[in-house]
Amino acid sequence: MTGWTGRMLRVNLTHKTSRAESFSEEFARKWIGGRGFAVKILYDELAPGVDPLGPDNKFIVALGPIAGIPAPNTGKAVVAGKSPSTGGYGDGNLGTRVAEQLRKAGYDALIVEGRAERPTLLLIEDDKVEFLPAGAVWGKGTYETNDWIYAKYGKGAGVLNIGPGGEKMVRWAVVRSLEGRAGGRTGMGAVMGSKRLKAIVVKGTKPIPQADPEAMKKIGSEDLRKVHQIDKETGWSIQSTDGVLAWCNEVAALPVRNFRKTFHPDAWKVDGERLNNARVATYGCPNCTMRCGITIHDAEGRESELDYENIALLGPNLEIFDLAEVGSLNYLCDDYGIDTMSGGCVLSFYADAIDQGAIPGDFKFGDAAGAKALLGRIARREGDLGNLLAEGSLRAARTIGKNSEAYAMQVKGLELAAYNCKFIPGMALAFGVAPIGAHHKESWVITFELKQTSRESYGPEKAQKVIDLQRIRGGLFEYIVACRFPWIELGWGLENYPKYFKLVSGLDWTLDDFWRVSDRTYALMKLFWLREYPRSERKLDYPPAVWFDPANADTEGPIAGKCLEYDKYDGLLQHYYDIRGYDRRGIPTKATALALGLADEVAVVERIAKLV
Amino acid sequence: MKITIKIIGPFVVSAGFSEKEVDLPEGATGEAVVALINLNNPKPMIMTRNGESLRPQDPLRDGDRVVIAPIYSGG
Repeated sequence: MTGWTGRMLRVNLTHKTSRAESFSEEFARKWIGGRGFAVKILYDELAPGVDPLGPDNKFIVALGPIAGIPAPNTGKAVVAGKSPSTGGYGDGNLGTRVAEQLRKAGYDALIVEGRAERPTLLLIEDDKVEFLPAGAVWGKGTYETNDWIYAKYGKGAGVLNIGPGGEKMVRWAVVRSLEGRAGGRTGMGAVMGSKRLKAIVVKGTKPIPQADPEAMKKIGSEDLRKVHQIDKETGWSIQSTDGVLAWCNEVAALPVRNFRKTFHPDAWKVDGERLNNARVATYGCPNCTMRCGITIHDAEGRESELDYENIALLGPNLEIFDLAEVGSLNYLCDDYGIDTMSGGCVLSFYADAIDQGAIPGDFKFGDAAGAKALLGRIARREGDLGNLLAEGSLRAARTIGKNSEAYAMQVKGLELAAYNCKFIPGMALAFGVAPIGAHHKESWVITFELKQTSRESYGPEKAQKVIDLQRIRGGLFEYIVACRFPWIELGWGLENYPKYFKLVSGLDWTLDDFWRVSDRTYALMKLFWLREYPRSERKLDYPPAVWFDPANADTEGPIAGKCLEYDKYDGLLQHYYDIRGYDRRGIPTKATALALGLADEVAVVERIAKLV
Repeated sequence: MKITIKIIGPFVVSAGFSEKEVDLPEGATGEAVVALINLNNPKPMIMTRNGESLRPQDPLRDGDRVVIAPIYSGG
């Protein structure tokens, strides 16, 4: 077997033990890496009902066969575990030197078990594993922690760390790396915190196994230059991801005021042009030549790295249109190690709940100072309110009651990304069926809906497009573990990825071969869900109820008077299930699961719930 | 008839403006808007009017706001 190191590192924090474990070529070919490895390991090793914040949950770092290889945008890792926000399989990816360093240390994945007695830094240097005290930075923000680690181990080390939000087990805490990268908005920072694992530091010196390393180096380097050239020609990184904000505002897709509105006349103040004008530095992940991280000086003069999602959700969604203030909220989330996107949605939910009279309080939309104070209370789980909001919008709504769940902007417990689908049925479906909750990384269909079909349509073409994109975005890029941006933003051909895969593994696969792995991975995420929630039903694949409420329809603009319709959405959902081979609950049928090679996994889940 | 053209994202650089109002003759189509701007950019574009797709052959109406953006893919 080449292309994989063939080994995983298993670490137990309770017993301070570690061991390298081999995996088979069959396992590698069936699951490839990243998300595929993670969901298979968690499905096999976690008992149903395990507390996501208990010592029996596992924290996984999983890489893919091209991770860390010098080729376009391969400096990424997947972090995974049972999600504290959804209770299902959870993961996220982030740019990090861990991708390269862990593979150079000789591992394709790291499995962390147990709970340390004291705050711990896990140090991996090739075959050496050490459990070091991290009390000096317990309670410290991610920036100070990162500096502390760099001072000890150098800037070339691969680092994952958490902030106070992770330590306090905020259910939407993230894992952080480098100066501005975050991943695992399904609560992976809280999983690390529950294990008292403050940081992971990795340094490796071994060669990454490749079938044809010389050709890979030559082609990978050429392709990095080509991607850079395309970026220059198209000007994509001038505004980076925030270019889409002005467009969302024009087509009534921007989240404003807890998604109550779809556009705002002041949105231009935080759009891509303003972001580019305020730029003080640009950052990127390892092996990236289209760097997307634009930093500005925030209201307190600190460097804050912004993108569309955090600007839209911490800005217009809270009716804050001062870019420097949005930068401050983003900086605080990053430093506390809590998710910027869920942060925006949780705060907007709270302001909305006060507006609706569901809960007393004086926090209002547009209140940047109040938002900053609240983020601190949440990250420290300070008082009843800090604790309530640290649980995320769904749990908070269920505590508050008074029909507030209708406007908790989440699916399955994970808050929405920054696309307001009040009248964008296909994208609403993409959020609804995303297997980890409402994450945009799985599928994104808005331009398809507007350009190649109709906004009004609930036809099967939209369900098919959601699936096509899931196979690529939530499939290929998540298990081969590379950033999707060269493909989605610059049109870098998908055919390049089987090419890289062949150069490292020697395997001559077609894209159809990969789509089968994607479908298998999605099916197993669903079986994981069924095992945790044996009474799963299709309503779990519905977006927030407020999008279906005619009383919430826009009163002006492009979609005035329009909203999603339950019957039609349910029909669109059924198209998705039919094409996928899922039953009416949204679970793979037995025939589908078996056809995808999941016989062992079916036997496990059928001890708890029947497949159709 | 008066048409407002809004340019989005990196297209602003090649178009040289982000928003302006233009006079077009009755019967003009989306094609006329495309011809007015110099989009020397290989990135595919999407043209919308009032939140819906506008094809080059579609007739324009007085007061239309036409938005031209690169095809975004959702980050």
